[in-house]
Amino acid sequence: MNVPVAGASGSALGGAGPLAGAGAGVSEAWGRVLAGARRIPRAGRICFLIAFVNAAIWGVVVPPFQVPDEVIHFAYAQYLAETGKPPPQGPLPQYSPEEQETLSALSFFSVIGHPQMHGILTASEEAPLRAVRAAHPSPVGPGGSSSVTNQPPLYYALEAVPYWLSPSHELLTRLAFMRLLSALMAACTVLVVFMFLRELLPGWRWAWTVGALAVAFQPTFDFISSGVQGDNLLFLTSALTILMLMRTYRRGLNTRRAVLLGVVIAAGVLSKLTFIALLPGIALALLLLAWRALPEGRARALRLLAVSASVAAAPVLLYALLNITVWHRGSPTAGGVAGATNSTLASGNVVTLKESLDYIWELYLPRLSFMNHTFFSKDPVWEIWFNGSIGHFGWLDYSFPAWVYSDARDLFYVLAALAALTLVRVRAGIARMLPIFVCFGVMALGLLGAIGYAGLRYRLNTGDQFEQARYLFPLLSFYALFIVLAARGLGRRWAPVLGGALVVLAMAHGLFAETLTISRYYG
Amino acid sequence: MRLRVVLGVAVVAAVSALALDMSGTAPRTAGSDHNSPVVFSAVIPGGGTLCQADSAPPSDTATAVLMVGTYGYAVPELGLTFLDATGHVVSSGRRPAGGGQGDVTIPLSRARGEASRACLHVGGVRRLAVGGEEGAVNSGDEIINGALQGGRISLSYYRPGRESWWQLLPTLSRRFGLGKASFFGSWTLAAMALLLVGVWVATIRLLLRELA
Repeated sequence: MNVPVAGASGSALGGAGPLAGAGAGVSEAWGRVLAGARRIPRAGRICFLIAFVNAAIWGVVVPPFQVPDEVIHFAYAQYLAETGKPPPQGPLPQYSPEEQETLSALSFFSVIGHPQMHGILTASEEAPLRAVRAAHPSPVGPGGSSSVTNQPPLYYALEAVPYWLSPSHELLTRLAFMRLLSALMAACTVLVVFMFLRELLPGWRWAWTVGALAVAFQPTFDFISSGVQGDNLLFLTSALTILMLMRTYRRGLNTRRAVLLGVVIAAGVLSKLTFIALLPGIALALLLLAWRALPEGRARALRLLAVSASVAAAPVLLYALLNITVWHRGSPTAGGVAGATNSTLASGNVVTLKESLDYIWELYLPRLSFMNHTFFSKDPVWEIWFNGSIGHFGWLDYSFPAWVYSDARDLFYVLAALAALTLVRVRAGIARMLPIFVCFGVMALGLLGAIGYAGLRYRLNTGDQFEQARYLFPLLSFYALFIVLAARGLGRRWAPVLGGALVVLAMAHGLFAETLTISRYYG
Repeated sequence: MRLRVVLGVAVVAAVSALALDMSGTAPRTAGSDHNSPVVFSAVIPGGGTLCQADSAPPSDTATAVLMVGTYGYAVPELGLTFLDATGHVVSSGRRPAGGGQGDVTIPLSRARGEASRACLHVGGVRRLAVGGEEGAVNSGDEIINGALQGGRISLSYYRPGRESWWQLLPTLSRRFGLGKASFFGSWTLAAMALLLVGVWVATIRLLLRELA
């Protein structure tokens, strides 16, 4: 609808010159975006808005830099925004003078990890911050190594946009605007989850909304979405990949879908290297999709597979090439893969394959008698993954009271039983979807394995725990599916009612997580 | 109808739980000197005094809390004083001897003006370890009986009595606007609460429309 109007306006302003053509192109693209948005069900658009506003509220509730690793994610984005290139890394300061002085003025290093410390509570305590604002320290740092500088730059390049669009050049204003982009990514993730459920369960209209809202109000997801944190793009690109695979599985592989799959895969790899762990499952899924396209011609199927793979590979190869030739970041992945997989520890000891396998197993399953290594004193399934997803907030320095986790576990048992009941009831439908879900399973296994592989090395090098529940959030689509299956457990008639009740429970969960956060930092 | 009833009951239950939670009373923080009690950073001999650079406690402070170790003895008499640059007392308080180690509370007078240092006087004859942070020697660090050493003791401040979150709301609103982008202010908490109400209303309306 907007295309002809914008095109006419372009002609009036610039005649038939190249700018007018570019303007018309932008208008056309915008028109396509709007047309695409109109094809999304109204419920999906409302879920998107609800998720955006909710995540934006979280972004105001959580004080600056109190989202895990936000300090180093911001430092990367600021360096990229200021210099146009990713950090060179090396033994240099991580932060710009502006960020370093702001962190000191916020008493940041006293607050993280110390739940009894609250940051700035009075106007007089804010005086150092005002002094930093007045002094205008340099926003350009040397770009020294941190645990995220070896990541690809896509998220940080996107964050450079609100960084520069911010009406004020003051750091905390820029941070507030950058947080809005993370909230937008969270909202997009929720919308993608909605579309995934619609694709998977077209006849369960209630389920699309219930699953999407369960994600929108998931407090650990919201907490991460409230900050400048590269995981937000990883969650989005992972959910998009799962949606595109599901959509292509149901509708068939064609050129458009092959290209789109390639684009989201490339975006995933360039958002965070963790995405590489999903690639074996994605590759298997692409082979499956090409195999299903064989009846329409072997050559066509192979061509579509090649299109997808090359569209995915080209930007990644370009990134690798830039790392070596232009940015001089040491290796094609800027040390990102080596940093997470190096088996030689700082102490000189070497991590064995058996150690790695034991660790990965024990991270998710009970230890078996023949396993020599005991890595965990508490069961990580509950302590890290379950309790962590219920809520370990801040720099993992505040949580709900213990009874919340205990009651949540009881509720989980009930929901798991209900979900299992549903699976039994819909087993005929599952058979049709089994091949693509096997691929999703391989994606999940890849992620779980990668978390454990990197986690063991981190733990042995530093003595600290690496794993956090958010590392599983690339699989958020399946969390939504679990909630929907549980809601359907009491039968078709009760499914919307139970689904609605679960959404309100998720809202209450989110609300109490926010009040907990307010009491942690302001109370 | 069933959906309306279930959603209605669920929302009322959630809001009631929130109201109940906010009605609970407890001592509420007034702030701190931004040093956390992670180690015993100072050992003060009996009769000795530790001073460190510090600003005055917030104006709503009624007590200061320190973490102390007594080596098995009772806590000696403690005196805490905040002084301005000219040596005048801005705020002070004392705690009589007695009680065991751990967190100890010293009542403080309301601060009158800006302070530049805090001094903790330990009565009796036995040494006392005090919780704080260690570090390289800086000019604002602990001075024990005139000798400068690295580290700073931790002082946490509390408001008078016990308060519910309802009573604390005006203070929370003020604090909520601090330490953020300069366009935020004391209006922000109320604005966020209203937005959240809007999110809840939109969600319930969506559920009623899509799930009915």
